[in-house]
Amino acid sequence: MHIPDSFIPLDQAIIYWVIALPFIIMSMKWAKNELDEMKIPILAALAAGIFAIQAMNIPIGMGTSGHMVGAVLVAIIFGSPWAGVLVLTLVLLVQGFAFGDGGITTMGANILNMGVVSGFVGYYIYSFLHKNLSANIAAFGGAWIGLFISAIVCAIEMWLAGTFPLVPGLITMGTYHLIIGFIGEGLLTSIAITAIAKSRPDLLDDSFTARPDKSKKEVHA
Amino acid sequence: MSRNSNMKFLYVGIAIALLLAVLAPFLASPDPDGLESAASHVVEKSKLSNLDENKPAVNAPMADYSIKGLGKGGEVAAIAVGTLAVLVISFGFGKIFRKKA
Repeated sequence: MHIPDSFIPLDQAIIYWVIALPFIIMSMKWAKNELDEMKIPILAALAAGIFAIQAMNIPIGMGTSGHMVGAVLVAIIFGSPWAGVLVLTLVLLVQGFAFGDGGITTMGANILNMGVVSGFVGYYIYSFLHKNLSANIAAFGGAWIGLFISAIVCAIEMWLAGTFPLVPGLITMGTYHLIIGFIGEGLLTSIAITAIAKSRPDLLDDSFTARPDKSKKEVHA
Repeated sequence: MSRNSNMKFLYVGIAIALLLAVLAPFLASPDPDGLESAASHVVEKSKLSNLDENKPAVNAPMADYSIKGLGKGGEVAAIAVGTLAVLVISFGFGKIFRKKA
């Protein structure tokens, strides 16, 4: 879903940057408040893994492919959608500047769609579902719908940009990303959560996201 | 939660990411992604040429996750370099912005 430069006129692309900036700043504030020394390796591992998995496009039929975005996975592990915004911003910076995957002018829009919309929608759906369902099923639902909604937002941006017609754009983007979201986002996020629940259950319970002052005694254990 | 188990998570993460870097050039679908595919269906043919993805505002050194003249090996190298770059940048970012004890 990486929007190239040519898909959004410069004036609109700047507006998306302006909207994205407060979210990026908030994600840095999250790091200052929550990201202690212990969590940095987890953040770095997730960022590197998400960059790599975004190169693995999965065929969905209809001559189309898609890949995982990953913001919801990061948000679930860190217990905050701001973590997803932070990781996607770092990944999109490298993708845009080094690989031309997603434009530089449109990076604000890409951070908004993939970091903010998919991460926030997905994380809060996950949180709601997790009250009654297991983590992996809740993660599947959150990640799937989060990606779908971000594709709908992207289709509206494409319409505002004069690039896509509204209704065909919504139908096509919606259809593709319902499928991409099911396989590429929902299933993969669920598999990752299942694997982490088996190997590092502490990353999914409150002990990881609790305030460091509460878990401080464990640091030197 | 201990420092060691978090470092182990990091090493496993790096191993999975580098495995993906090696596999992606061979296994990833070459079909256009959802956005590009939608563009080719809903945008008029005459307008489509203006949306050429190969006209970025800034030219990327490893456009399309490839290194000129190096074929599949170059693609593996490009994704591996990107993976390590993201790793170093997020580690560095974490060190600078982390919560100070």
